Amino acid sequence: MPPVTAAISTEGLSKRFGAVRALEDLSLSVNRGEVFGFLGPNGAGKTTTIRLLLGLLAPSAGGATVLGRAVRLDGADWRGDVGYLPGEVAFWPQLSGRRTLDYLARLSRRRPVDRPDLLDRLGLGADILARQVRTYSDGMRQKLGIAQALQCRPSLALLDEPTKGLDPLVQQAFYGIVAGARERGTTVFVSSHVLVEVERLCDRVAMLRQGRLVFQGDVAEVRRAQLRRVAVAFAADVDVQALAHFGEMVGAAPREITMLVAQKDLPALVARLGMLPLADLVVEAPSLEEAFLERYR
Amino acid sequence: MSVLTLLGHLWRRHRLALLCLTAGGALFQWAITRVVPTGAQTGFVRQLFDMAPAPVRVLFGEEMVANLSARGFLGFGYVHPFALLILAAWGVRVATGALAGEVGRGTMDLVASRPVSRWAQVAAAAVAVLVGLAVMAAASWAGTAAGLRTRPLEGVVALDFAPVAAMALMLFACWGAVALLVSAVLRDGGAAISWCSGLMAVSYVLDYLGRVWTAIAFLRPLSLFRYYEPHRILRDGVAASDMTVLSAVGVVALVAAFVAFARRDL
Repeated sequence: MPPVTAAISTEGLSKRFGAVRALEDLSLSVNRGEVFGFLGPNGAGKTTTIRLLLGLLAPSAGGATVLGRAVRLDGADWRGDVGYLPGEVAFWPQLSGRRTLDYLARLSRRRPVDRPDLLDRLGLGADILARQVRTYSDGMRQKLGIAQALQCRPSLALLDEPTKGLDPLVQQAFYGIVAGARERGTTVFVSSHVLVEVERLCDRVAMLRQGRLVFQGDVAEVRRAQLRRVAVAFAADVDVQALAHFGEMVGAAPREITMLVAQKDLPALVARLGMLPLADLVVEAPSLEEAFLERYR
Repeated sequence: MSVLTLLGHLWRRHRLALLCLTAGGALFQWAITRVVPTGAQTGFVRQLFDMAPAPVRVLFGEEMVANLSARGFLGFGYVHPFALLILAAWGVRVATGALAGEVGRGTMDLVASRPVSRWAQVAAAAVAVLVGLAVMAAASWAGTAAGLRTRPLEGVVALDFAPVAAMALMLFACWGAVALLVSAVLRDGGAAISWCSGLMAVSYVLDYLGRVWTAIAFLRPLSLFRYYEPHRILRDGVAASDMTVLSAVGVVALVAAFVAFARRDL
């Protein structure tokens, strides 16, 4: 049984399309109220996972619970509490933006309490909403997609590549929207391959590669688990090979070394360096991107 | 609740098409009453038909050739390809657009990710198809009635064409259910339209060939068009067997559409 605090829980969730394994044995848990990043390159299975969580696809094996209810193809009622932004959002071209939002809110059976705030933050004015969606740019469609997903204040928001096509200013607005949603208790599940975005938004993160989960944990934990890049300059020649056992030496000269060192070994290294004629010391924490790429190598 | 919301959406999307098709059907039947020959003219026309090759006579309906009259000509208006195409266009347009069309366009994700059951989606499409067809069939009959009111023809009563219009509704409601089934299993509206149009064309040709070529006449019952013969309805009334076959095929196709759509990946 998944913990009662889990907004999403999957157990051995798998999906095959013919011979293609889109998702393999995914066991994942997303806590209520957290912002969860779902990382992976194109084709890793992120969109398939979200579509399985919504009951748009039937799993080949395993199962999932969303907001405490087992996901089924035709189990419809719980979806009123879920907001969804598809990765390739599409609308009815002849409908205006406002009619689109009205129609989707009616289908959600909830009042669009957050719509005015969202439209304001996203810069979707009344004049834009009065136009047919077919006249919208890609960015405007994406903004409308974000608005429709969050307008009814869902308990869980599943956002597939939410900042795709947004300019940097609107991306900032989106980050604010997610922060606001979290403050109101909404669980946000963000699929992305934009690592900086995930690093900024998310409490926890899962990484997917070729349909398999390769990591699940705190963003901080990902970084912590990574090697630090340590650059040291000495005031005099030293035997740099005597430091090699602290980590991986990636550059060495009599007065200068660059090493990759595990976080746990840093205190010992710093203590040892203190006994040497130290001129400069730089310790760089890895970005999530470096951590991510390291796991994908 | 969801069904009504979906129906409202379908209405907004298809209302112009419904208006045009309904007006087209009504005007066409009204126009037929304008060109129906009088009793004196039918004798001449009968001679022309007698001279035509057998396949041509069959195409227009043996009964009509045999019983050339104003009633027969008006009945011809209900098997004319234009009248059939108008009804077919509505059924195929709405049925394929509501399921496969939404999947192909990507908008199905927005609907299906909300508390809308798949049953409700098929039901809304079925109701839209049926209501639209009913409106169009009623308008077609109204076109005939309006024409006969302004140009009365001896021995022709507008009410006699009501069962013909009702059977046209039944035939295309059946085709609508088939179109829903096709739409429920495919991923693209264009492909669904192609399949439905192809099935209808094959069925129509099969019925026609079965009538003109006795060697394959046994295949005619496989065509749904076999169960819709306006001249026979005008002469003998609606055959219970025709109603039964069309109802059965329609219900089976609709149930299959519900089941297929409920079980498929979107």
